Order: sequence, then C-alpha cells, then structure tokens
Amino acid sequence: MRTPEAVPTAAPAASPQPRATLPLFTANDLLWLVYFYPVCWLAKILPRSLLYAIGKLVDPIVQFHLHDRKEKVVPWIAEACGVTAGRAREIARRSLTNNLFGTLDDLLLLRPSPETMLCCQGVEGRHHLESAIARGKGVILLVGHFFASRITLRYLAKIGYGTLSVRNCQPSNAAEGRLGRRFVRARRSEVQQRVLPDHVFIQDSECTLKIMRRLRAGGLAVIQMDGRAGTNPLEYSFLRKRRHLASGIFEIVRLSDCAVLPMLCLGRGDGFRIRFEPALEIVPSTSREAFVCANLPQFAAVLERHIIANPEEWRLWNPYLAWRV
Amino acid sequence: MEPLPGMAGVGSRETLDRIRRVFIESLHLNLNAEDLAYSDKLDEVAALDSVAVLEFVAALEKEFEITLEPEMLTLEVVRDLQHLAAYIDERSAQRPPPPENQA
Repeated sequence: MRTPEAVPTAAPAASPQPRATLPLFTANDLLWLVYFYPVCWLAKILPRSLLYAIGKLVDPIVQFHLHDRKEKVVPWIAEACGVTAGRAREIARRSLTNNLFGTLDDLLLLRPSPETMLCCQGVEGRHHLESAIARGKGVILLVGHFFASRITLRYLAKIGYGTLSVRNCQPSNAAEGRLGRRFVRARRSEVQQRVLPDHVFIQDSECTLKIMRRLRAGGLAVIQMDGRAGTNPLEYSFLRKRRHLASGIFEIVRLSDCAVLPMLCLGRGDGFRIRFEPALEIVPSTSREAFVCANLPQFAAVLERHIIANPEEWRLWNPYLAWRV
Repeated sequence: MEPLPGMAGVGSRETLDRIRRVFIESLHLNLNAEDLAYSDKLDEVAALDSVAVLEFVAALEKEFEITLEPEMLTLEVVRDLQHLAAYIDERSAQRPPPPENQA
C-alpha cells in the first residue's frame, strides 16, 4: 500500500538568527527569566493553590502579550476542528491559559517529591497497558503534545511504569534575544532534565539505541511524533496543514516489533486523567518506506482524533503561542 | 586499545569483512568494503545519525542471526569494527547448533 501523502523530506535547515541581528533582550526573555528564577524559587515553598492563584493573576497579562499570535492561529484551529472563528478564538485563549498552568506544573515537578502532589482522577484502560507490556517487546506510548503529558509521565513512574521520554533540548524560540540565548537556554535545558529525569534528547547520537535498550528490556518509551523535530522528518497533512512529523518512531517500531499504545492525558496537576487505548495493529513491512506509508496514517489519525476532541489541551497550535519549557 | 566491556580480541577476518559489507549495504554508502580499514571507527567513515545506527544494528542482527544484548546497544560498541567483530564471534559461538546437528 502506498500513501503518496507521506513524503520524506530533508531536515529543515536550522537557521538561527545571526547573533548580531538579535536584540539585546526581548519581552520573551524577560518572562523566561522571571519564570526560571523568582517564580521557580517561589514554587519550591508556595503551596500549589497559591502558585495557581498567581497563575490566574498573570493569565490576563500573558493573554494580552500574545494577543496577535493567538489571532494568527485562529484560522487553523477553526479549519482543523471544524468550528467557528469565535470558538477557535476561545480554544486559543484556553490553550494559552492551560500552557501557563502547564509551566507552573513543571515547576512543581522540580520539588523533591512532586509525585505526592499529583492528583490523578483516574487511569482508564490500564489493562491495555498491561497487555502490551506482557508481549515482552516493550511499549511505545503514542501521545500528542498535551499539557498534561509531563505530569502524567511522572505519575506513571510513581505507580511503577517508568517511561523513557524523548525530548528536544533545543526547541525553537524565534522570540529570543541575546540575553535569552546567553542565559535562558542553559537554564531551560537544566530545568528540562529535572522535570523529566528519565529522558533522552533527540540530539543524542545514541537516541534510538537508548530507546531500543529500554524496549528490549520490556520497558516503556514515549514519543510525541506531532513535534517537528527529527533528522528525517516526514511531510504529511496533519490537522489540515502540511507539517513535518518525526519519522524515527516508525523505524524503531519496525525494528523492535514493540507495541504502540495510544495514550491520552488531560488536565493539570490538581486534577488529571489518563486513558490508554487498545494497541495499534501495526502493518509489518521489511522496507522502511513501505512501513511508514502503511502505518503513518493510523498513527496520525489517533493524534488528530485526540487533538480535535480536546483542542485546548494541545500545545502546538502555534509554536510561538506555546510558551513552554 | 582498551577492550570494551564484555569483549576481548579483534574478531575473525571473515566476521570483519561481513560487518564491513553489512555496514555499507545497510546504509547505502557509496564505498567499497576495502575502503574501510579494520581499525576504522565507523562513525568517522560515514555520518551516522541515530536512526542510521539503528538500521545498521538491525542489519547486523539479521546477517549474523543474533540479538545484541541491551548493554551492547551503545555507539561506543557499534562504531568499533574490531570489537564488534569480537563480540559477534563470541555471540555466534554461544548460539545453539541447528536442529539437525543436535540429533
């Protein structure tokens, strides 16, 4: 079977803005610095309710600051979700609010025992996870960039399902100034590693080998293929837009014969829920290209279904809207 | 050269040649096997991204009908032709003989 839509493309060239053309600092840099230092210190001592109260106070400022970017993303949300512009605008607003609370949850994860603060309201379909693990070839959790994914992974580790997460240590940040490049990047990388200690970066030359090691030991790994990163991105129509999707997941699944289990996680630290769905029926193939063509549509369809049903929980409507760690 | 964990020696010439061939074929490199010296580090001969390494490992396992142990799935092991050959020889020797020989 051939799906002409999936086109392997060259990796998007990394073209960071030359240092000389960057402003000394941007509003984005200042927000990050406030987040990474005073807010981060406060998060160590404040109760969650107070931290969230600060989030509520800051929300209107963030909404105002990113107003133009919200407007830019409205047409895409409306088209992808089949909703009116007014509803799409509301989704963009709520997505930004959720993003803010997601970043506060990240700070809570920096505490010594954050798992005790995570209020999981339910894990649905756990038997699907157990069945997939019982195959003995490892499990890849297929999940989109939802705000609750990090707290979910920490919670899963707490209840005995330690999961290797695959992350990008250099997320794009077009709103970065020289100050941000000098101070924020390093701090962000440090925080990233503490938020999800069990991780591997896609920039690591042993990334796929580390994932394979975990799978061969019968363990779990999570790959968010709706991200743009990857050495061999696939151009594919995703949410009615041509996007570059990560391709490494397909090669890992093909060569490891692991189970692929869709997972949906929604909510925030004070109340989130997790749902595991039945493992996908993987179409086997000996060739890399044929495997991608046969399986990419179902992988993407799962994520699209999750996102369209919960659009305000998805992080990537606009990379500039996503104010993230 | 310091032996890598779990390995000693440099492997047989036949294994070295087969690894060279697998490396070139699995990664579709425009090289002859002779272009690769036994002492070469594979990631210095060709640009190996993370997925390419995995392709190479999978091709090796198919060629030699072995499964690399999880602790051997490191770039340090995979890039070193001689140690890789030694490890594969060792693993192949541990493999049970085919059923007709067992009778």
